[in-house]
Amino acid sequence: MTTVDRALDHAHDDHHDVPYLTGKGGPIATVWDWMTTVDHKKIGVMYLFTVLFMFFLGGVAALMLRIELFEPTRQTAAGITGAAFAGGEGSSVGGVGKFYNTVMTLHGAIMVFMFIVPGIPASLGNFFLPLQLGAKDVAFPRLNLASWYVYVFGSFFGVYVILTGGIDTGWTFYTPYSTSTEGQPQVVAMILAVFILGFSSIFTGLNFIVTVHKLRAPGMGWFDMPLFIWAIYATSIIQVLATPVIGVTFLLMLFERLFQIGIFDPGLGGDPVLYQHFFWFYSHPVVYVMILPAMGIISEVLAVHSRKRLFGYRAIAFSSLAIAAVSFLVWGHHMFTSQGELAATIFSALTFLVAIPTAVKVFNWIATLYKGSIALTTPMLYALQFLFLFSIGGLTGLPLGALSTDLHLHDSYFVVAHFHYVMFGGTVIAFLAGIHHWWPKMFGRMYNEFWAKIASGLVFVGFNVTFFTQFFLGTQGMPRRYASYVDEFTTLHQISTVGSFVLALGFVVHLFVFIHSLIVGERAGQNPWGGLTLEWETDPIPLEHNFRHEPIVKHGPYDFESVVPPGCDEKDFPLPPQDEVRTVH
Amino acid sequence: MIMTTPTLAIHDFLLDIFFRRGADSDVGSGWGIDGLFMFIWWVSVFFFVLLMGLMGWWCWKYRRVPGKAAEPSASHNTALEITWTVIPTLILVVIFFWGYDGYLRAQMPEGSAEQVDLTAFKWGWGMTYDTGWGADETVTLGSRDDIPVFYMPEDTPVLLKMSSQDVIHSFWVPDFRTKLDVMPNRFTPYSFRAAALDEADERVKTMDVQIADSVRENVRYRDHWIFCAEYCGDLHSEMAAVMRVVSKDDYEWWKSQPRYGAGTNPVEVGEKVYIASGCATCHSVDGSAGTGPTWFEVYNRPVPFADGSELSQAEIDADPLAWDNYIRESILNPSAKIHEGYANQMPSYDGRLSDVELRGLIAYIRSLSGLDVDTENIPGFEALDEQAAESDAANAEG
Repeated sequence: MTTVDRALDHAHDDHHDVPYLTGKGGPIATVWDWMTTVDHKKIGVMYLFTVLFMFFLGGVAALMLRIELFEPTRQTAAGITGAAFAGGEGSSVGGVGKFYNTVMTLHGAIMVFMFIVPGIPASLGNFFLPLQLGAKDVAFPRLNLASWYVYVFGSFFGVYVILTGGIDTGWTFYTPYSTSTEGQPQVVAMILAVFILGFSSIFTGLNFIVTVHKLRAPGMGWFDMPLFIWAIYATSIIQVLATPVIGVTFLLMLFERLFQIGIFDPGLGGDPVLYQHFFWFYSHPVVYVMILPAMGIISEVLAVHSRKRLFGYRAIAFSSLAIAAVSFLVWGHHMFTSQGELAATIFSALTFLVAIPTAVKVFNWIATLYKGSIALTTPMLYALQFLFLFSIGGLTGLPLGALSTDLHLHDSYFVVAHFHYVMFGGTVIAFLAGIHHWWPKMFGRMYNEFWAKIASGLVFVGFNVTFFTQFFLGTQGMPRRYASYVDEFTTLHQISTVGSFVLALGFVVHLFVFIHSLIVGERAGQNPWGGLTLEWETDPIPLEHNFRHEPIVKHGPYDFESVVPPGCDEKDFPLPPQDEVRTVH
Repeated sequence: MIMTTPTLAIHDFLLDIFFRRGADSDVGSGWGIDGLFMFIWWVSVFFFVLLMGLMGWWCWKYRRVPGKAAEPSASHNTALEITWTVIPTLILVVIFFWGYDGYLRAQMPEGSAEQVDLTAFKWGWGMTYDTGWGADETVTLGSRDDIPVFYMPEDTPVLLKMSSQDVIHSFWVPDFRTKLDVMPNRFTPYSFRAAALDEADERVKTMDVQIADSVRENVRYRDHWIFCAEYCGDLHSEMAAVMRVVSKDDYEWWKSQPRYGAGTNPVEVGEKVYIASGCATCHSVDGSAGTGPTWFEVYNRPVPFADGSELSQAEIDADPLAWDNYIRESILNPSAKIHEGYANQMPSYDGRLSDVELRGLIAYIRSLSGLDVDTENIPGFEALDEQAAESDAANAEG
């Protein structure tokens, strides 16, 4: 920074002119500062580490499931039970059968409610939404901090309830199984945990909606917003509208227990399928809470790393909103085998409707590559992996949306493979793309590109070996949520288990790459990839108040053709000089 | 309605890869569910290869070269975008209607279907044929040796009237390509027409079937797995059954045979019922722990109940039928008295067991305590003897 800048900046509070990562005195003061911060960047980083920790927990549970499934019988689980729960008979986790089911519930509930739903919006969204909008913070910074605390409380509560209550219902808590087992009070407690976590989603969603409406930088119209913002905006709308439904469900279950009002329990005159309607009316839109932010990241990464304006910007933006709207109308496709013919037919038709904007997005992304300047960096590799895996995930949704084929594939391993291709191959891969893309901006350091690529290769291979086999398990007749199986399925299950360990190895390498980067990583420049969105106009590590001056938007987020002079490299990528911005001031 | 399967070698090869073999029901095979699946497969392969091909090609062709900027190109193209919206939409419309057609055929039972009652419970399946009998043969799966075998006729419309005793289960025959949930509060109809047994199919086997005293030789059959597809708790993974498809004649013979031969010991009847009605799922006969109390050496011993009361030794001494009545009540109305330390989760067997079977079970439980059973004194078994004798006579005449 030049002295001229400093002189001009004296009007600002000096306190806010330090990079946000700079400590505040001693370790205790620094911890206190983080715990009480209302800075969206710090909250984003705290969210990032907490969701990654939950991902680790859920991943350990997944590996335990895969170990069990290596053998057709339950013998392996008996070994795990003996080792991990030496308490034996008195253990709340129960017998061998129940142990598998509890771990399965733990994996599902953690991954869905504590990792993938809050994942991208609350971490990367929190950090980069205000930066990309050119704002100082989100609209309600204290609500933002509250959402993190609510999330942490809800997560601890949920994991505690599953482990101590031995909840074995699966993450969907279907009645009457969930209300007729001895774990009934714990199931209600678990739904309370989901409700609490839902509040954290609502806080974040509401915050983002208001921020997008009110805090865009001067000159930024709706169609000048980066597509990541569009995706997060659509996500937030779903969060605010759908999450209350799980609260209603929780209250109804509570009323049924306390006052014996028959709602879901057939013993009291209720209808168990009604619960499925409530549950999926919440959980299906939430599937798009999981995937839309991932689509936003992919839009950013593809554009920046191929130096190309996104093909059909408006189509992508509108398809996000279309997906959000239609997502509320397709919940019944989870229940083709439990509802009447007319309802099933309508839901099947609506389901195909949601496939169209999704397909359009994929076409647009691939068309973006045409005549680009494509750098195969780690984020870009992950974005390309996303296109590969998400296409498989989307296409295998077709036989599940079609009525007759779903009669066979429903609740089979085909479904397991399909949603892992969408949720992992889509969301987690995009999350990894986003973390690598924005890592330099979050922590001011580069990571080791070579080892990150090795890790991404391991993740890609491990994931495909694990889950591609499961499509065949499903078509051949292997049902979901089985701890043991008939001998015919042994080979495919063993291949899948081997794949899951390759996948885990990939994440271990990633972990080392991140730690290495934080300690000795090369200092990152202000704009290592040559992006044109506003977050790259901040300091290498953003200041507490983000921008030295309120940014003025003078070009679109992907106008590489008009802004980037031919022949320039990312190292010497020119930004609009600060002075030039100031003259507009 | 069975249409011929396209006879492309690649098509059969892929069916083997995906499903091990083409479907064994009329809705599943041919242009039905397998056909739609393969159509979607080819559409998917086309688009996937196209997209990934373009992606790979462009990533190579337009890889970043230092000093070379991206070439200019259009940022959108309305005609192209409309095209790639409309074409997939049309394909989706085809898939939707094709799926709708197969679904309706799977859901709508044919008029003159053979109707069989099916009960699902934690954790097993029971079928009751119109003759009143259920399954009486079992196979082994993993740790369970009580997986029931249900006989079904080939190439005949069958309607299963399904209901659940407890939670939601789902009846899935992967070889038929269809499943349907089994509900605790209503009947759901699972209808199918199993494919005719094919001489050339190496999976069609032959066996001698023995029921009580009668034997039928060289019965051709084909076994299909039945799985529970809706998660239902501890033994969900082992909630399996076998559907054994035989010829119509063999099926009629199997269904109409009396189950217990002349002079059958009631203990043997009880042992058969123990397996065939799914008691073995929860109750052990060797004293080991289970979901329900063991039957080993319990007869005429005091029983503590969950509400603090008990069936006392004094009551047992005073009334020689006290334990018999306790067993009877526990089978027909299980929630009346709950054994201490166990949950109230056993379904009622009222209407599912005949008097003879009930008496047999009591005799069996009694025998597990080392007590002899005097056949003469158990009413009901004389009638059984007569029935068997009549049927023997009929067979002899035939």
